[in-house]
Amino acid sequence: MLDQISNLEAYEDAIRSILDIVIANIVLIGQIPAPTFQEQERAKLLLERMSECRVDECTTDGYNNPIGIVRGRSRDKPPIFIVTRLDTPFSKEVDHNFTIDSNTITGAGLLDNSLAVGVLASLPFIIHRLGLNFESDIVLASVIQSIGKGNLRGVRHLLKTWSTPIRGAVCMESGEIGRLNYASNGMIRCDIRCISNAGIQRSGLHTPNAILVLNEVINRILGLRLPLRPRAEINVGTISGGLKHGQIASTAVLGLEIRSDSDLLVGGLYADIRDIVQGVGQENHVVLQTKTISNVRAARLKHNHPLVKHAASILNQLDIAPMRGPSESEVSIFLSNNIPAIALGLTRGQGYQQTAACVQIEPLFKGIAQIIGVLEAIDSGVCDE
Amino acid sequence: MNNQWIHTNTFHYEAFKNLDRLARVKEKRGLRISLCLPTLNEEKTIAKEIVIFKSELMTRFPLIDEIVVIDSGSADDTCRIARKFGADVYLASEILPCLESFSGKGENLWKALYITTGDIIVYLDADIKNIHHRFAYGLIGPLLLDEQIKYVKGFYDRPITTWDNKIRPTGGGRVTELVLRPLFSLFFPELTQIIQPLSGEYAGYRTIFEKIPFPIGYGIETSMILDIYQKWGLEVIAQVDLERRVHRNQSTKALGKMAFAILKTFIKRKVDLGLIELKDSLHDQMIQYSISGNDITPDILRIEDAERPPMIDIPEYRKKFGIVLDPNPRSAPLKSVSKQ
Repeated sequence: MLDQISNLEAYEDAIRSILDIVIANIVLIGQIPAPTFQEQERAKLLLERMSECRVDECTTDGYNNPIGIVRGRSRDKPPIFIVTRLDTPFSKEVDHNFTIDSNTITGAGLLDNSLAVGVLASLPFIIHRLGLNFESDIVLASVIQSIGKGNLRGVRHLLKTWSTPIRGAVCMESGEIGRLNYASNGMIRCDIRCISNAGIQRSGLHTPNAILVLNEVINRILGLRLPLRPRAEINVGTISGGLKHGQIASTAVLGLEIRSDSDLLVGGLYADIRDIVQGVGQENHVVLQTKTISNVRAARLKHNHPLVKHAASILNQLDIAPMRGPSESEVSIFLSNNIPAIALGLTRGQGYQQTAACVQIEPLFKGIAQIIGVLEAIDSGVCDE
Repeated sequence: MNNQWIHTNTFHYEAFKNLDRLARVKEKRGLRISLCLPTLNEEKTIAKEIVIFKSELMTRFPLIDEIVVIDSGSADDTCRIARKFGADVYLASEILPCLESFSGKGENLWKALYITTGDIIVYLDADIKNIHHRFAYGLIGPLLLDEQIKYVKGFYDRPITTWDNKIRPTGGGRVTELVLRPLFSLFFPELTQIIQPLSGEYAGYRTIFEKIPFPIGYGIETSMILDIYQKWGLEVIAQVDLERRVHRNQSTKALGKMAFAILKTFIKRKVDLGLIELKDSLHDQMIQYSISGNDITPDILRIEDAERPPMIDIPEYRKKFGIVLDPNPRSAPLKSVSKQ
């Protein structure tokens, strides 16, 4: 393993020498809008580029997740997965043209998660350039319908229908380099929608203000007692409603997330919130509905799992301080299926979820080198225990 | 009038998508291809153009041999960024310093003939926001695969009608539709088949470019088409649909200046060909007005109509490329040899 780690600097230099290939993939793929449920065009280009670039097999699974396979030497070893999500939070109307400066790329979706998709498309070329030949097949998958209402459907389907065992997985995130996620909290995201003029008969009463009704819901949620252990968190993340300053808001929507390392606690808190919603709705004579947007089960690797330990060593070797923490992205689905998996970031950037996201080019070379290092570690057996 | 040209010599870039095939044809024919990007303050778009062409048409498929940036003296970071991403960068004013220096796009393109080494030269504007390698291989394709074609012009958006009778919403830009197309319709109806004569994306053989004069400014695209048409005929020209192109929108005033230069070039060519006679010389100032409140102020710009001679007339060029002048100028075209 130490030998492999000692190669990382050379990997970094070799990857820097094909900077144009990596950036071109990031730009050409990332400039194609891919809002959730409308990823087909981006998926098509990704497959096209992988098929042109030393990938032995390119296909889509039954759910239209684009997949490329770089065949390994051994027919007995299970495959290793490298995964990114394909969808971005921006609609097709948003300008997706990127600009490149001497050390940055700027544009919509780069951090969420277009840069990582471009790197995924470049990996076959990089693997070939580095002269690597793995025992396992390397499955490069960019899963659709991941974020928001997609609720990680693409990766769930991929794992549900994959017929062989999986040796291990690395989920690539555009940022931040140094992140080392090997646990996922239990999580439920929901919208609470209030409609105050939905044909309800009110004798002499004025129409309740939907925003104020949601305010009451928030107040009651804040009154819930959360235990210190297991740790839990309720985050009120979004609120929208109303039409104009002088008019009582007739509709409003509140978005919140419940998180904990205990699935039981997440379920319990969600039940409490649904009770609150039902009560406030009846008291104010409004339609108040809760809708689940996405949910993830709690799962984790131990902090001393060989994959986690090796990944941390690789980061340290590259002078990157590991930032450990949970992630509720694709890695959570691997972990809840008992597949050893980690999520790693590729570079640094600013403007997550914003159209003018800006990523740095220079850290990317270390970011990709760490992925190759971890891939080698999994191929050498760190997930096989 | 040859009105079949639009059917026989109009292509879509997708016909040339097989880059491996293009690279093999290029190698078999022993050709070198240069990509030239004329720049003036293009720091926002230059890196992306270079990276994509280098990745797709140099590293992945060996179609282009060099990327050359000819800069007019950018005040921003254009040159540094272009160098960083691997282009060969030259200041126009430092090329052929023995000659009087001018400033303008045509000047950069002309000087690129001296600097580049390719048998085929691809000229692309450096301000394309949605740059894609199709902008280059789409232009190179017809030149490699059809030996009759020597000059290829790009067009984008949508032509008015197409070979498959589909109606598409727009033709050229404003200056094309309001200035050049009416002129072509009046004097050279065959040339109206060129959908976007003013597009900044074209490619051709050095043996063509070196034998035509280059106006230093906006008139370059117009003169190039007229000169190639007059010398070699419409058959050596092709056009390629490059689909969508996103670039900076220009103000009507800026387009007025462009129209001025184009009109001047056009009229000059008509006079040179003996097709019209002017009783007086043309003025060289474009006069526009700015109105602010009650103030009306003239905005006068002198637009130079200097023109570079065919590059082959420049001794330094002939020396560099080992060209020997034919003692009988009426015989076969001069042969040029690329410097490797």
